[in-house]
Amino acid sequence: MFPENPNESAIPSLRKVAEIIGLLGEELAFVTPNQDAGILPINRLVMDLEELPEKDFPPFLTAGLEVARAWLDQMLDGPGKFDEETIRNLNQWHTWMTSILLACQTGKAMPAWPEGWAGVDRSDNATEADEPSIRLSLAEDLTLLREFHGESVELLQSIEQGVLVLEENPTHAPTIDSIFRAFHTFKGGAGFLHLDAMRDLAHDLESLFDEVRCSRLHITSEIIDVILAGADALKRFTREIGAQLQGTNAGAPILVPTKQVVARVKSALRGEPLPKTASVTDGGASQAAGVAFSLAAKSLPKVRQSPTGEQALLSPSSGFVKLDTAKLDNLVDLVGELVIAQSMVVQNPDVQMINSLQLVRCLRQLGRITTELQRNAMSLRMVPIRALFQKMNRLVRDLATQQQKQVQLVLEGEETELDRNIVEKLSDPLVHMIRNAIDHGLENSDDRVANGKSELGMIRLTAAHQRGGIVIRIQDDGKGLDRRRILAKAIDRGLVKADATLTESEIFSLIFQAGFSTAEKVTDLSGRGVGMDVVRRNIENLRGKVEIQSRPGQGTTFTILLPLTLAIIDGLLVGVGGERYIIPTLSVRESFKPPPGTVKTIQGRGEVVSVRGRQTPLLRLGHYLGRTSRAVKPEDGIVVVVESGDAARGLLVDELLGKQEVVIKSLGHAFGQQNLLAGGAVLGDGWVGLILDVDTLVQMPYHPPQSAVPAPPAMP
Amino acid sequence: MTFSLGDESYGLPVLNVREIIRLCPITPVPRMPPHVKGVINLRGTVIAVLDLRAKFQLAPKAYGERTCIIVVQVAAPSGGSTLMGAVVDAVEEVVQLGADDIEATPDFGGAPDTQYILGLATIQGGVKILLNIEKIFLEDGTLSLSPLSKLEPSIQPEKV
Repeated sequence: MFPENPNESAIPSLRKVAEIIGLLGEELAFVTPNQDAGILPINRLVMDLEELPEKDFPPFLTAGLEVARAWLDQMLDGPGKFDEETIRNLNQWHTWMTSILLACQTGKAMPAWPEGWAGVDRSDNATEADEPSIRLSLAEDLTLLREFHGESVELLQSIEQGVLVLEENPTHAPTIDSIFRAFHTFKGGAGFLHLDAMRDLAHDLESLFDEVRCSRLHITSEIIDVILAGADALKRFTREIGAQLQGTNAGAPILVPTKQVVARVKSALRGEPLPKTASVTDGGASQAAGVAFSLAAKSLPKVRQSPTGEQALLSPSSGFVKLDTAKLDNLVDLVGELVIAQSMVVQNPDVQMINSLQLVRCLRQLGRITTELQRNAMSLRMVPIRALFQKMNRLVRDLATQQQKQVQLVLEGEETELDRNIVEKLSDPLVHMIRNAIDHGLENSDDRVANGKSELGMIRLTAAHQRGGIVIRIQDDGKGLDRRRILAKAIDRGLVKADATLTESEIFSLIFQAGFSTAEKVTDLSGRGVGMDVVRRNIENLRGKVEIQSRPGQGTTFTILLPLTLAIIDGLLVGVGGERYIIPTLSVRESFKPPPGTVKTIQGRGEVVSVRGRQTPLLRLGHYLGRTSRAVKPEDGIVVVVESGDAARGLLVDELLGKQEVVIKSLGHAFGQQNLLAGGAVLGDGWVGLILDVDTLVQMPYHPPQSAVPAPPAMP
Repeated sequence: MTFSLGDESYGLPVLNVREIIRLCPITPVPRMPPHVKGVINLRGTVIAVLDLRAKFQLAPKAYGERTCIIVVQVAAPSGGSTLMGAVVDAVEEVVQLGADDIEATPDFGGAPDTQYILGLATIQGGVKILLNIEKIFLEDGTLSLSPLSKLEPSIQPEKV
């Protein structure tokens, strides 16, 4: 058996266990319900654990492994996908195992065997145990708690209304479904915030409804009582959370007796006759809530209140309307059209001929209103980046504990708003970059102290409006990027030639190349084959850019530039062969009229143009697009220098037509396979302008210009 | 619903037809097969437009007074439905066809391409060629960028 103070021989295997548990945590952080991603690595890691010699293990560790094995087997035999419960269990398991290890290493007392886990002799005499309480981490999860509170109030109201319907019509399937979903959502929210008591109760109630849904259980007045009692307990929790959010008793544990309710739900689930905790007073549908309160009064402290009192507590609900995002997108699209239509009217030559002060005034008024309307419509889609940033808070906390580094995350500019579509898609890259900063950027406490830095590692996450877009910075004060090692690795991987001379920023941007990973540990820690190349691709898909600054020993800063919204881009309108194309301004570095002689050919085929002393390959856009360009000689046209990633190209166009904001439209699935065009936009005159995808243009195989420009596809 | 291309008369299921619009400016999309005319702005929605003449390899003809675009709704392979336009010479009429009116496409031994044809219908002495709309439009749903080489002068743009 495991000695109180581990002897030396036990430690190596424990270290191995600790390592595997750490890896498991990494994998677990990425699993999502109803997906199978991660199941195999997790299974393999658990198998690794099982293969370790067990004789030195504390008994709890072995028992814990058996539990995890049982869950995994169940999952592998069954759907082969994670469900929420398993994920929760596994996460709980992971925390518990970590604490066991910690207890082993420090020789402290073992933590208690968690409730609800099978496999170990622990009778389920829950009623004897203390009532669980929840404690809010107000400082950390304030916004999340607010959201949760607002949502809970709504959910509970809909549950109560649903129950009233069920009293009348116990088999009304849509209502059963909606109550089931309400409990399910509740459970998810509570689970995320670690409000375990609430989550467990909601979970049991959800299972009860699941049974009802599958017609294994029928709604009876007893069941309705149980549900109402459960909902009531949840409501008390919610109310307390609300009170704490208002500043009353902030931080105090919230204790609501739930054991009895849980026991009743459980016995209802087993189909046993329900324990008579109270004599059921009969009441009509209108009094159902009242009945529940009097029932609950036995198991819960007195909460009997007049219905108006109850209402008053619940009604200061948030002034928010939940909206289908498709409707919102539609509205924003239409407003975009309105703006275009408005400019069509104003610029119409016939209208401009009319000499009427009245009309001019009306048009001006129309213009003002449309602009205002557009701004408002756009702001509907904007959400503060706060929620995303706060998720990072959690991530940093977890990762720092795991890696035993001391990390402080400083958030700035959380109120910065950007398009919700961007916020959603920004989550993954941001998670990855933060993980990188902690994994590879920040040193151990010891190293930091040795380098004369504070023990506490600092990660600064800032968001701000800048350059007509959003700038997000991830700044760490770690060891910085090792230029030599990056270069060596890149040469090793064949990404650059051994004798290449690269500027600093070129070297740094190598880490965004596919198939590149600096730290040797990358496979251990990240281990998911997700590299910085994916980060860059994600950000470029959002039409953004990433830049790196790094100073050895002082830290690294990643700067992400993003457009404010995905729906509208600032575009440069260019004319090529009588057609108009739009180049996103974000990718345009500059444009100029090439003086004769700046364009040189290489080997008689490739053309380069000298841009600020650098020779930049020149693409004749007309040739690429199959149009007859008027500018046969480069000096007749205009060179627009675009960049994507590190590559720059000069695009030769006939003329610049202007710069304007355009609403991006999908070209539809007919052109889904091509990537030359990023979309279309309706221009001021009602025509469709095509938006070029600069990334594709830049990456196209370099193609020699032809003396005879090919004819465009036959046009009648 | 029937429409004409030259002297021939074709039919589409009327349920698929969303609307018929007059010819409007079509923005050509580069590097697409010749029968993909481009995109138009249909009240704010950008939709792709095909030229059925080019699609069936009929001789091109200048667009005239009666040329119009039939906007059809077809089920997208990814689910949902999508709008596409087809340029035709003229729209004729809407006719009721019974099952008896329709006969299977005869085998031409390969000369006319019959893969887009559902069947032939004889009404009022005329022959209507019934088209498999989903097939025509969905095939173009997976158009890929024509390789660059096709635009090189040495190689003529491939005729579909």
